[in-house]
Amino acid sequence: MSVSLPTSNGFENIDPEQIKTFKDFLISYNKLSELCFNDCITDFTSRSIRNTEDKCTSNCLEKFLKVNQRISQRFQEFQILANENAMAASQKLGQPFQI
Amino acid sequence: MAQATEAQKIQLLQDLEIEMMADMFNRLTTSCHRKCIPPVYNDSEIAKGEAVCIDRCVAKFLDIHERIGKKLGQLSMQDENLLKK
Repeated sequence: MSVSLPTSNGFENIDPEQIKTFKDFLISYNKLSELCFNDCITDFTSRSIRNTEDKCTSNCLEKFLKVNQRISQRFQEFQILANENAMAASQKLGQPFQI
Repeated sequence: MAQATEAQKIQLLQDLEIEMMADMFNRLTTSCHRKCIPPVYNDSEIAKGEAVCIDRCVAKFLDIHERIGKKLGQLSMQDENLLKK
């Protein structure tokens, strides 16, 4: 059978990098649902989710992803700039650049 | 595995730095989202003003991060010098 059953702790054949990525995804998923729930759902006079609440939640989700994307873009730009500055500074001093 | 080799130490430090960066980035994201995006979701697009706010927020956050790093470095240097005396 090709189905691999979990051995002793079950994580031996999974790449730790993959686990980290999955963990980060789950953390942001939880954060996102907390944020959108708190911002969009305020009325508890009815059990069902209203259309406005549904719309608000999906807008919240989409906007959250866009905001995250923009922030990481800016962050990267600053990172590159800081790296270049460090490189230039160490070259000026005549020392090899080290991370 | 009695002692960590030099390479292992460097690896550990690098991992720590990456982890610290990730933590800082998460905090940055949370702060700037909270400060720039009002909790009213009539639209899924980022508004012009919000976009400008985010850009400034990221720049300012990193600026402050750097300043505090420098200040902390100075202070801990002072402390070390005091301890040596």
